[in-house]
Amino acid sequence: MLARLRSNRTLLIMCLPAIAFFVVFAYLPMPGAYMAFIQFNYSDGIFGSKFVGLDNFRFLVLTGDLWRLTFNTIAYNIAFILFGNVMQILVAVLMNELRLKWFRKVSQTLMFLPYFISVVLIGLIAYNILSYDFGLLNSVLRSLDIEPVKTYSDPTIWPFIIVLTFLWQSTGYGSIIYFAAIMGLDSEVVEASEIDGANAFQRIYYIILPWLKPTFIILLLFSLGGILKGNFGLIYNLVGANNSALYPTTDIIETFVFRALMTNFNFSQGSAVGLYQSVFGFGIVMLANWLVRKISPENSLF
Amino acid sequence: MSKVKKASFLVLSTALTLSLAACSGNNNNGSSASSSPDSGSSSSAGSSDVDTSKLVKISYLVLGDKPTNGQFEKVMEKVNALMKEKINVELEWQWIEWTDWQTKYNLALASGEPYDLITIGTDWLDTWANAQRGAFMPLDDLLPKYAPQTWESVSQESWQQSKYDGKIVLIPEDQYTQWVNHGFFYRGDWAKEAGITEPIKDWETIGKYLQYVKDNKPDAIPWDATTSESVWDGFVTSYTDEINPSISTGYLPIFYGKSIDDPYTITSPVYDDTFLNFATMMKDWADKGYWREDVLNNKNNTRDALQAGLSGMDQHHSQTFSTLRVQMDKKQPGSELQMFPFSRTRGNLLSTLITHGGTSVGAHSKNPERALMAYDLIRNDEEIYHLINYGIEGVQYEIKDGKRVLPEGYDETNDSFYSDFWGGRVDKFEIPTDQVWDQIGTLYQEYDSYKKPYPYGQFAFDKTPVDAELTAINQVTGEMGPAISYGKAGDPAQAVEEFRNKLKQAGYDKVMAELQKQMDAYKAMVESQG
Repeated sequence: MLARLRSNRTLLIMCLPAIAFFVVFAYLPMPGAYMAFIQFNYSDGIFGSKFVGLDNFRFLVLTGDLWRLTFNTIAYNIAFILFGNVMQILVAVLMNELRLKWFRKVSQTLMFLPYFISVVLIGLIAYNILSYDFGLLNSVLRSLDIEPVKTYSDPTIWPFIIVLTFLWQSTGYGSIIYFAAIMGLDSEVVEASEIDGANAFQRIYYIILPWLKPTFIILLLFSLGGILKGNFGLIYNLVGANNSALYPTTDIIETFVFRALMTNFNFSQGSAVGLYQSVFGFGIVMLANWLVRKISPENSLF
Repeated sequence: MSKVKKASFLVLSTALTLSLAACSGNNNNGSSASSSPDSGSSSSAGSSDVDTSKLVKISYLVLGDKPTNGQFEKVMEKVNALMKEKINVELEWQWIEWTDWQTKYNLALASGEPYDLITIGTDWLDTWANAQRGAFMPLDDLLPKYAPQTWESVSQESWQQSKYDGKIVLIPEDQYTQWVNHGFFYRGDWAKEAGITEPIKDWETIGKYLQYVKDNKPDAIPWDATTSESVWDGFVTSYTDEINPSISTGYLPIFYGKSIDDPYTITSPVYDDTFLNFATMMKDWADKGYWREDVLNNKNNTRDALQAGLSGMDQHHSQTFSTLRVQMDKKQPGSELQMFPFSRTRGNLLSTLITHGGTSVGAHSKNPERALMAYDLIRNDEEIYHLINYGIEGVQYEIKDGKRVLPEGYDETNDSFYSDFWGGRVDKFEIPTDQVWDQIGTLYQEYDSYKKPYPYGQFAFDKTPVDAELTAINQVTGEMGPAISYGKAGDPAQAVEEFRNKLKQAGYDKVMAELQKQMDAYKAMVESQG
C-alpha cells in the first residue's frame, strides 16, 4: 500500500489541487443543504432557524410544471452532451489529420474564441439577427421579398437555435481535451498501422476512436451528474426573462426558479431546488456507472 | 510503458475535467450560508454621554450607479470634514448598482455584512420581508438618545407606521412631498396634431394618440415599450375603485383593497372583467403595432428613445415626469411633454406612503449609536443636508431668486453630482430648482384635490404561512404576466382563463384567505387605536 502510494507520488500531488477544490467547495458546504429544510432567518443563522421539513419543496410542485421543466432540462442536456461530444471528437480528429501547422493553429484559435464571449453578448447578437422589425435575418428576407419570420414567437425553432449556439460556443474549447488525448496516443501504433497499409479512415476508426473511448466515458459520466442543472446563462440570455411564448420548449428548472425567487429572495427554497438537482444527478451518475460497468467494466468510474 | 502513460493521462484529464466542471458552478447547496447568530445585541451603550473619541466609519447602503466623475468624492470630503468635527464619524456610501438591483440589495442584506445605515422602501424594497428575516436592528431605545432631533420631529403616528412586530425598524421619510403615482407621458405637440386638445384622461384617448403616431410619424414607434414593467396596476387605478396594498406577487399585483371606503376587504381584479378588459385592450394595441413585434425581447431604453424622438410615449411616475419634462423641452423643443396620471380617470389616488423612502440600521452594525448620530446630522443639519443632496454651492448649483440654478460653465459630464439619498429628505431644507418643471404644481394641485389618506401604513404582511404559495404565484405572474400585458399571449380570453387557473393551482385561495385574515386583524387594530 505504502509502496504504491510512494510510486504514484507525482500523480497524487498533481491531483491535489482538484482534491482541495472539492473538499473546500463541495464537501465542506454540504451541511448547508440543511438550508432546504428550514425557514431561514438572517439573524438566527442556519441552525437557529425554524425547521419546516419539506415545506420548501412545495412551490416546485404547486403549479404542476415540474415534470415539463425536468423534461426540458434533461432533453437540453442530453442534446448538449451528445452533440457536444460528437462535434468535439470530430473536430479533434480532424485537427489531428491537419498537416499544415499554421492552419491548425489559426483554426484552433478561431474555434476557441466564442468560448470567451459572454452569453449576455451572445444574447444581444442573437436578438440583432433574429428580431422581427430590425433584425438582420428578416431584413435579408424582406429584401428578397420573402415573408419575414417571427422568430421570437415560434417555440418550435428554439431548441435548434439554443443547441446550435451551444455547439458554436463550446466545440472549440471541448475539443482540446480530445485533442490532448489523441496526442497521448503512442505514435508507434499509428506508424505500424500505416506500414500495414491502413488508410486514414481505417486509422481513425480502428485506432483513434477506440483510444478516445475512456475519455469519452469519463466526460459523459461527469456531465451526467449535472444533467438536471441547465445551462441557465445561455438560455436566459437567448430567450429573455419575459417571453413566455417560448417557454413550452425553452423553460428549464433554473429559469423557472429564477422567475419564482427573483423578486422574493427565499434562500431556503433556492437550496431546496439545488438539493433536488443534486440528488437527481447523483442517482443518474450511479445508474450510468452501473450500466457502464455491465457493458465495459474497465471503463467505469468506480 | 504505455500503461503508465495511459494512467497518467487519465489522472490528468480527470483533474482537468473536474476543475472545469466545478468552475461552471454547481455550488448552490448553500455555500452562501454562514451569517453568525450574533444579532443586534450591541446596543448596551449605558451611560449618558456618548464616547466619540474614536473615529468610526459609518457605511450607508444606497441604490444607484456609483458616480464616476470625481465630484461625489469632493462633496463627501466636505461632508466628512463636518462629520469629523461634530461627531468624529466618517461616512461612506455603498452603492447598489441598478443592474439587478433587487437581487443585489437583498443579497447585501442577507450577507451579514455590518452595514450601518440602509436605504429602505416598504413598497419597493421589500422592507417588511427583510425585517421579518431579521435584517434590521430595532431602534426604539436608540432613537431618543442618539437621534434626538429626528426622534422629536417625526410624529408618533409616523413612528407607529415604522414598526414591525411592535418595534421600530426604520426611520420614515415622512416630511418630504413627492408623488410616485404612475402615468403615461405623451407628447403634447403630437397630441394636438391628432386633435386631442384636452389633457388625456382615459386609455381610449391614449389609444387614439398612439394610432395617430403610428400613422403619421414613420420614424417613431408609438410606444417603444419594454416588458420590464406592466401597466396593469395603472389600468386597475383607472377603471376600478380598488387600491393597492403593495402585496408583492411578482410581475403583476394580484391583491387589492376593495375601495378607499372599504380598504380592509381584499379582492382581486384578476378574477373579474377588469383583467380581461386589460388583456383585450393590450392585445388590440399589440395587433395595431403600437410597439415592436418582439416587444418581449426588446431591451431598448424607452426613455432614451422618447428623448431622441423615436418613441411617442413613456411610462413612469410623477416625480420622473417633473424633471423629464425639462429635459424634453431641451432635447425635443416644442414637444410639450404631458402626463396622463392613471388616477385622473376617476380620481383614484392614495397619498404617498411615508415609508416609500427611509433608513434602517443594519442588524449587524457595529456602531449603531454613531450611525444614528450621523443620520441625525444628515437629516437635520442644513449645511450637511445641502451638501449631500445638492453638492457644493458654486460648483453644482447657485442660488438665484431663491431657486437653485446651474452655475455658469456647468458641464453635465464633469460637474454633475448625485448621492441618491432617499432615506430622509425634508421639505424644510429643500430649495426649488429650475431643473423641475415649473408648472408641475398644477399636476400636484390636481392630486391634492382627490387624494385619499394611505390606509395600509402599518400593515406588514407576514408571509411565512404561505411562503410556498407566494413563490409559486410569483412564478406564474412572471411566466404569463409579460405576454398578457403586452398582447402576445394569443387569444386574450383564453390566456386570461389559463392565467386564472394557474394562479388557483399555485395556491391563490390559500394566500387570499391568509391575507384577509391578517387584514381583519389589522382592521381591528386600527379601529381600536381610534
